[in-house]
Amino acid sequence: MEERERRKINTTECDDREEASTSNPTTHPGRKDESPLRGDTEEEDSVKLDICSDTFDPLLALYSPKVPLPFPNIKCFNNVSEYESFLKGGRGRAKPENVEKKLRKAMEGVVDPERIKRLKDLMVCNVPKVGETSAPPRRKQQKTHKNVVSRMQLNKGSPLGELYRCVEERIRVKVHIRSFKGLRGLCSGFVVAFDKFWNLAMVDVDETYRDPLLGEALYHEKALTITRLFEKLKLQESSEEMSRTGKGQGKSAQPPQPGPSGGCSTDHQRLSRSTTRFSEAEPGAKEAKAGGSEGAVGTKAQGKTPHPYGKVHTRHLNQLFIRGENVLLIHLQPL
Amino acid sequence: MDQSDGLAYDQAEAANSMRERTIVENSLVVLLQGLHGQVTTVDLRDESTARGRVVNVDAYMNVRLADVLFRDRRGRVSRLEDLFITGRNVRYVHIPDNLDIADTIEKQLGKISRMRNYAGDRGSKKKTNK
Repeated sequence: MEERERRKINTTECDDREEASTSNPTTHPGRKDESPLRGDTEEEDSVKLDICSDTFDPLLALYSPKVPLPFPNIKCFNNVSEYESFLKGGRGRAKPENVEKKLRKAMEGVVDPERIKRLKDLMVCNVPKVGETSAPPRRKQQKTHKNVVSRMQLNKGSPLGELYRCVEERIRVKVHIRSFKGLRGLCSGFVVAFDKFWNLAMVDVDETYRDPLLGEALYHEKALTITRLFEKLKLQESSEEMSRTGKGQGKSAQPPQPGPSGGCSTDHQRLSRSTTRFSEAEPGAKEAKAGGSEGAVGTKAQGKTPHPYGKVHTRHLNQLFIRGENVLLIHLQPL
Repeated sequence: MDQSDGLAYDQAEAANSMRERTIVENSLVVLLQGLHGQVTTVDLRDESTARGRVVNVDAYMNVRLADVLFRDRRGRVSRLEDLFITGRNVRYVHIPDNLDIADTIEKQLGKISRMRNYAGDRGSKKKTNK
């Protein structure tokens, strides 16, 4: 309707102009221009509405109901800025990867039955036990589960493997326990469990140990080294015998070992020699440092003067845990 | 009451880091952890002894005892409500006679593996998109 009105206006204008132009010769070219206005309107319209033509009339195009677009399926924008940002390939533009990520995030809390089904298929046993689900336990089952018990066995071929043999075959062992410097005592018993730190769990333990020396004796004890350990042990056994037969001090836990009486004299000599080497207090340690199976005597140090320190003690413990740090060496009972 | 104590200790164990749990699992500290709540004697490196109820033993063998009779290396006796012993200072731990060592170890290992599975379910492991 508007268009018709406008055409009327144009035509009236044209008429006015034409009338004006008759008087004015310069309007001839104007008339030529205006003649298409008055001419065939359909053709004019299509030409005017054609965006690519020279005679494109935008005002007409805006009001016309059907404007033929050269590319009808083109993307529409609401304004120019939108078009601009589209051209720049804008930051928040939905690339296919981003879109997928967004979707996945949105779906996070939501239960996806398909996914659950897939996970269930991975399960070995469809009935989940308490605390067990899906893939990880299955992998762990395939991988042998290592713990302290299984590791005891793994040490075969190494010294700890030898210790495992003691556990298996219930071999009685003697464990030398250390003090700050050197030997503290001896634990004789059966090993139930151990670990790589040499922590030991033992049963039926007979412990023989000496109280630590204090003061000057400790200083003198510097001469004591681990290499003399077995020597000390032997001497201790014999000196124990000596002290028992000689002094008769303290109480003996068990009857004396048979046999050493013959060797006593020689041992005594050895003992006297050793006393010159070590301090006075040390023989006290040597005494009753017997093997665990023999009863150790709680005697004071050998020598004329009784010593208030360096006493040897013995005790029996049914079950004992020993921290590996304190283990000097482990000695298997002779087979 | 034992049950509730056990639960409390289980929760305490659950609070352990993964590292502590693996250390415990692969060493004999499991045996000591089985002593929770028992009265035992701990012999220290310096010849002193502490007799009391085991409250907690951690992966590094640090021992917490309650209601302790402490005999120091000079022989002086004192009573302490709470005693914490550094793992390195432990020499012996006397295991009560009524406890079976192998059995205790197995039980403790079972607890740990169950704890690990339970913790795993909770979501400490990352989500898979598969």
